[in-house]
Amino acid sequence: MAQPGLEKRTKTKVEDSSSLKGTLASVFLLGFFLIITWVGVFLLFLNRF
Amino acid sequence: MHIHKFEKIWLIFGVATLLVFLSVIGVSAFYLGNQPPSCLATINPEQVDTQAPFDKPGLNKVEGKEWDYELVFVASAFNYTPGEVEVPLGAKVKVLATTKDVVHGFNVAGTNINMMLEPGYISEFVTTFDKPGEFLIVCNEYCGAGHHLMSSMIKVVE
Repeated sequence: MAQPGLEKRTKTKVEDSSSLKGTLASVFLLGFFLIITWVGVFLLFLNRF
Repeated sequence: MHIHKFEKIWLIFGVATLLVFLSVIGVSAFYLGNQPPSCLATINPEQVDTQAPFDKPGLNKVEGKEWDYELVFVASAFNYTPGEVEVPLGAKVKVLATTKDVVHGFNVAGTNINMMLEPGYISEFVTTFDKPGEFLIVCNEYCGAGHHLMSSMIKVVE
Protein backbone atom coordinates (compact mmCIF):
# COMPACT_ATOMS: atom_id res chain seq x y z
CA MET A 1 0.00 0.00 0.00
CA ALA A 2 1.21 3.36 -0.99
CA GLN A 3 2.12 5.74 1.74
CA PRO A 4 2.23 9.14 0.05
CA GLY A 5 3.07 10.91 3.23
CA LEU A 6 6.46 9.28 3.42
CA GLU A 7 7.81 11.07 0.36
CA LYS A 8 6.62 14.48 1.42
CA ARG A 9 8.40 14.52 4.73
CA THR A 10 9.54 18.09 5.15
CA LYS A 11 12.50 19.10 7.18
CA THR A 12 11.50 21.51 9.89
CA LYS A 13 14.22 23.63 11.38
CA VAL A 14 14.48 22.66 14.98
CA GLU A 15 16.55 25.08 17.01
CA ASP A 16 18.48 23.74 19.93
CA SER A 17 16.35 24.44 22.98
CA SER A 18 19.42 25.73 24.82
CA SER A 19 19.96 28.45 22.18
CA LEU A 20 20.26 31.95 23.68
CA LYS A 21 19.76 33.92 20.48
CA GLY A 22 16.40 35.34 21.57
CA THR A 23 17.76 36.15 25.01
CA LEU A 24 20.74 37.94 23.48
CA ALA A 25 18.45 39.98 21.27
CA SER A 26 16.14 40.96 24.12
CA VAL A 27 19.02 41.79 26.47
CA PHE A 28 20.55 44.13 23.89
CA LEU A 29 17.17 45.62 23.04
CA LEU A 30 16.74 46.54 26.72
CA GLY A 31 20.37 47.64 26.95
CA PHE A 32 20.14 50.02 24.00
CA PHE A 33 16.83 51.38 25.30
CA LEU A 34 18.51 52.22 28.62
CA ILE A 35 21.49 53.82 26.90
CA ILE A 36 19.37 55.90 24.52
CA THR A 37 17.12 57.21 27.30
CA TRP A 38 20.13 57.89 29.57
CA VAL A 39 21.95 59.80 26.82
CA GLY A 40 18.72 61.69 26.03
CA VAL A 41 18.34 62.89 29.61
CA PHE A 42 22.05 63.73 29.81
CA LEU A 43 21.87 65.86 26.64
CA LEU A 44 18.81 67.62 28.06
CA PHE A 45 20.87 68.35 31.20
CA LEU A 46 23.78 69.72 29.14
CA ASN A 47 21.61 71.91 26.92
CA ARG A 48 19.83 73.65 29.78
CA PHE A 49 21.30 76.24 32.08
CA MET B 1 32.69 26.85 34.97
CA HIS B 2 31.16 26.99 31.55
CA ILE B 3 29.72 30.34 30.48
CA HIS B 4 27.85 30.57 27.20
CA LYS B 5 29.42 32.86 24.64
CA PHE B 6 26.34 35.10 24.54
CA GLU B 7 26.30 35.36 28.32
CA LYS B 8 29.89 36.58 28.24
CA ILE B 9 28.94 39.20 25.65
CA TRP B 10 26.06 40.71 27.63
CA LEU B 11 27.89 40.48 30.95
CA ILE B 12 30.82 42.46 29.53
CA PHE B 13 28.44 44.89 27.83
CA GLY B 14 26.43 45.42 31.03
CA VAL B 15 29.47 45.93 33.24
CA ALA B 16 31.05 48.30 30.70
CA THR B 17 27.87 50.38 30.49
CA LEU B 18 27.69 50.58 34.27
CA LEU B 19 31.32 51.72 34.42
CA VAL B 20 30.66 54.45 31.85
CA PHE B 21 27.61 55.73 33.77
CA LEU B 22 29.50 55.70 37.10
CA SER B 23 32.55 57.40 35.54
CA VAL B 24 30.37 60.26 34.32
CA ILE B 25 29.07 60.77 37.86
CA GLY B 26 32.59 60.43 39.29
CA VAL B 27 34.06 63.01 36.88
CA SER B 28 31.12 65.33 37.56
CA ALA B 29 31.56 65.12 41.33
CA PHE B 30 35.35 64.90 41.83
CA TYR B 31 36.76 66.66 38.76
CA LEU B 32 34.10 69.25 37.95
CA GLY B 33 33.23 69.71 41.63
CA ASN B 34 29.47 69.34 41.26
CA GLN B 35 27.63 68.77 44.51
CA PRO B 36 24.03 68.60 45.71
CA PRO B 37 22.33 72.04 46.00
CA SER B 38 22.09 71.70 49.77
CA CYS B 39 25.59 70.79 50.84
CA LEU B 40 26.10 71.47 54.56
CA ALA B 41 25.73 75.28 54.39
CA THR B 42 23.51 76.19 57.33
CA ILE B 43 21.63 79.23 58.63
CA ASN B 44 19.38 79.98 61.60
CA PRO B 45 15.91 79.90 59.99
CA GLU B 46 14.58 82.45 62.50
CA GLN B 47 17.20 85.06 61.59
CA VAL B 48 17.18 84.70 57.82
CA ASP B 49 16.14 88.34 57.25
CA THR B 50 19.07 89.76 59.21
CA GLN B 51 21.85 87.53 57.91
CA ALA B 52 23.89 88.11 54.78
CA PRO B 53 23.24 87.50 51.96
CA PHE B 54 19.57 86.93 52.76
CA ASP B 55 19.11 90.44 54.20
CA LYS B 56 19.30 91.68 50.59
CA PRO B 57 17.19 89.36 48.40
CA GLY B 58 17.52 89.86 44.65
CA LEU B 59 20.39 90.10 42.20
CA ASN B 60 23.61 91.41 43.76
CA LYS B 61 26.84 92.05 41.88
CA VAL B 62 29.86 90.50 43.56
CA GLU B 63 33.59 90.94 43.02
CA GLY B 64 36.47 88.52 43.26
CA LYS B 65 34.43 85.34 43.02
CA GLU B 66 34.06 82.72 40.34
CA TRP B 67 30.62 84.14 39.54
CA ASP B 68 29.58 87.71 38.65
CA TYR B 69 26.28 87.89 40.52
CA GLU B 70 24.55 86.33 43.46
CA LEU B 71 20.83 85.80 43.04
CA VAL B 72 19.34 85.57 46.52
CA PHE B 73 15.87 84.17 47.17
CA VAL B 74 14.01 83.81 50.46
CA ALA B 75 11.03 81.48 50.44
CA SER B 76 8.24 81.51 52.97
CA ALA B 77 4.61 80.40 53.02
CA PHE B 78 3.48 81.19 50.34
CA ASN B 79 5.78 83.42 48.32
CA TYR B 80 9.30 84.05 47.14
CA THR B 81 11.23 87.25 47.75
CA PRO B 82 11.85 88.77 45.21
CA GLY B 83 8.65 88.07 43.30
CA GLU B 84 10.31 88.96 40.01
CA VAL B 85 13.91 89.61 39.05
CA GLU B 86 15.86 90.54 35.92
CA VAL B 87 19.17 88.89 35.09
CA PRO B 88 21.46 90.07 32.27
CA LEU B 89 21.98 87.55 29.48
CA GLY B 90 25.21 85.60 29.79
CA ALA B 91 25.77 86.40 33.45
CA LYS B 92 27.41 83.76 35.61
CA VAL B 93 25.22 83.60 38.66
CA LYS B 94 25.21 81.79 41.96
CA VAL B 95 21.63 81.20 43.04
CA LEU B 96 21.31 81.10 46.82
CA ALA B 97 18.02 80.27 48.46
CA THR B 98 16.65 79.30 51.82
CA THR B 99 13.32 79.10 53.63
CA LYS B 100 12.06 80.82 56.76
CA ASP B 101 9.46 78.24 57.73
CA VAL B 102 8.73 74.87 56.16
CA VAL B 103 10.26 72.87 53.33
CA HIS B 104 9.70 74.55 49.96
CA GLY B 105 10.72 73.70 46.43
CA PHE B 106 12.64 75.96 44.07
CA ASN B 107 12.20 74.82 40.50
CA VAL B 108 13.03 77.20 37.65
CA ALA B 109 10.90 75.56 34.98
CA GLY B 110 12.78 74.42 31.89
CA THR B 111 16.24 74.71 33.48
CA ASN B 112 18.53 72.60 35.66
CA ILE B 113 17.86 74.82 38.67
CA ASN B 114 15.74 72.57 40.84
CA MET B 115 16.40 72.62 44.56
CA MET B 116 14.68 71.68 47.79
CA LEU B 117 14.75 74.45 50.39
CA GLU B 118 14.92 73.13 53.92
CA PRO B 119 14.68 75.31 57.03
CA GLY B 120 18.17 75.77 58.44
CA TYR B 121 19.96 74.98 55.19
CA ILE B 122 21.16 77.12 52.28
CA SER B 123 20.68 75.70 48.79
CA GLU B 124 23.07 76.87 46.09
CA PHE B 125 23.37 76.46 42.34
CA VAL B 126 25.92 78.09 40.04
CA THR B 127 24.98 78.54 36.39
CA THR B 128 25.31 80.83 33.39
CA PHE B 129 22.06 82.34 32.15
CA ASP B 130 22.76 81.96 28.43
CA LYS B 131 19.19 81.88 27.10
CA PRO B 132 16.95 84.96 27.08
CA GLY B 133 13.35 84.72 28.17
CA GLU B 134 11.05 84.46 31.14
CA PHE B 135 11.52 81.56 33.48
CA LEU B 136 8.84 80.69 35.98
CA ILE B 137 9.87 79.60 39.45
CA VAL B 138 7.48 77.21 41.13
CA CYS B 139 7.34 75.43 44.45
CA ASN B 140 7.45 71.70 43.88
CA GLU B 141 7.36 70.55 47.51
CA TYR B 142 3.91 70.60 49.02
CA CYS B 143 4.12 73.30 51.71
CA GLY B 144 0.53 74.02 52.71
CA ALA B 145 -2.81 75.44 51.58
CA GLY B 146 -1.25 78.12 49.34
CA HIS B 147 1.34 75.85 47.75
CA HIS B 148 -0.10 76.21 44.25
CA LEU B 149 -0.02 80.03 44.46
CA MET B 150 3.69 80.15 45.22
CA SER B 151 5.69 81.42 42.26
CA SER B 152 8.28 83.92 41.10
CA MET B 153 9.82 84.88 37.77
CA ILE B 154 13.35 85.25 36.41
CA LYS B 155 13.59 87.44 33.31
CA VAL B 156 16.81 86.96 31.38
CA VAL B 157 17.25 90.16 29.37
CA GLU B 158 19.93 91.52 27.03
